[in-house]
Amino acid sequence: MTKQWSAEAVETLLAAQGIALAPGRAERLARVYQGLLEASAADPLLARLEFDAVPAAFVVAMQKCR
Amino acid sequence: MSDPALLSLAEARSVPPRELLQACRARIERWQPKINAFLALHEEVGPGVPLAHKDMFYRAGRVSSCGSKIRREWVARETSAALERLDAAGFADLGRLNMSEFAYGPTGHNEHFGDCRNPWNPDYITGGSSSGSGAAVAARLVFGALGSDTGGSVRLPAAACGITGLKTTWGRISLRGAMPLSPSLDTIGPLARSAEDCAILMQALAGDDRWEEKRELRIAVSSAWIERNAEPEVAAAVLAAAKTLDPNPVEVEPPDFDTLSAHCLVVMQAEAAAQHAQWMRERPGDYSSAVRARLEAGFAIPAASYLEVLRLRRAALERFCAQTLGGADAYLLPGIAVRLPTREETGPKGGERMPRMLADLTRLTRWVNYLGVPALVVPCGFDARGLPLSLQLVGRPFSEALLLAAGRAYQRATDWHRRVPA
Repeated sequence: MTKQWSAEAVETLLAAQGIALAPGRAERLARVYQGLLEASAADPLLARLEFDAVPAAFVVAMQKCR
Repeated sequence: MSDPALLSLAEARSVPPRELLQACRARIERWQPKINAFLALHEEVGPGVPLAHKDMFYRAGRVSSCGSKIRREWVARETSAALERLDAAGFADLGRLNMSEFAYGPTGHNEHFGDCRNPWNPDYITGGSSSGSGAAVAARLVFGALGSDTGGSVRLPAAACGITGLKTTWGRISLRGAMPLSPSLDTIGPLARSAEDCAILMQALAGDDRWEEKRELRIAVSSAWIERNAEPEVAAAVLAAAKTLDPNPVEVEPPDFDTLSAHCLVVMQAEAAAQHAQWMRERPGDYSSAVRARLEAGFAIPAASYLEVLRLRRAALERFCAQTLGGADAYLLPGIAVRLPTREETGPKGGERMPRMLADLTRLTRWVNYLGVPALVVPCGFDARGLPLSLQLVGRPFSEALLLAAGRAYQRATDWHRRVPA
């Protein structure tokens, strides 16, 4: 089972960046991250992502796909 | 026609600018109290067909609030590339239009300047974040407007207000002098009364691209998905529009909208948080609670996840072009698949259902920003409440001319785009 984000972890991570959270926000954010990152990681394309793929390749792909 | 403000942009170019300006100002006087589309009107307006723009396109020496308290009095030092091009093409700039705070909201709410309201029914949202652009064009206060689109911000107001809006290919129009939100996703696009009017603005913004091109279109569509997932009124209007454009559209498997949207959100949240980090540390209380909450969400996105999603973008784009579009020119789907919510339902007191409503609103727009491709939204009917319905055409990178040609073909066969709110 995937490790769950915790409210404490979120609060600590944001505090380290100088971001103060309103009361109750950390719990909600933890749920949001969990859902968002799980949904993103579920993309079957990720399994075939080549080691040499870099973000800049997207610009080249745009020209090729036009 | 008695009111020159009701002409098309093409027709308006042959009317004396002074008459156009008077006509637009008369309509603004009548409509502004009802819809709150403008944040400010410029006192000195040059000659030309009147436009106005989302208040995030900088003009040297003028305030550009970005819809925020933080930049309420901020004066820009440079003029945006997009405004320079429209100026050079001889268009007039009437004023600064309302928008969601820092372009980070899909509904058109704004607690600093007041919500922008839908001209078809002020109880309903305009869509955002280019809310003023959608409302002002729909109410015929101006002939066109610039908007920005990072997750749907041109297309949602176009869809909700019953006008035509073009989300351009990422990189197609210079972002210089336009407020950044998420640079990997940000695009600029025109909102206007028709595809033909959008093409005129695109010619000024992006140069010659054979905008008059005519050809037979091949449309790809996922009818079963639309029937299953869209409101029945939306599905019926959109599938009828598909047949109008192509009597035999190609049936294809839909892209994985939700996964692509999740990728888009990872990028958007991380980049928006980085963009706003300094203000979020120093003056978090100057953001509305909704925008502050959206920004907070970006600060714990793992850097590796963000970069992995950007690395995946090429493969996702290639799959969309090869598998979804295949031999077709454009993929057709609704602009908004659900019933348009009210301002109250999606405002600060929206209640438990609000997050779901907001997610539904952007479900069919965000995935397009992740792929970086262009998309055109065109009105295709009205629901039982008298609110606009819309279709969306998504094309290959840099296929704006083709999408606009398709939009124009559809608007020659229908008259939805000619209807004006009373």
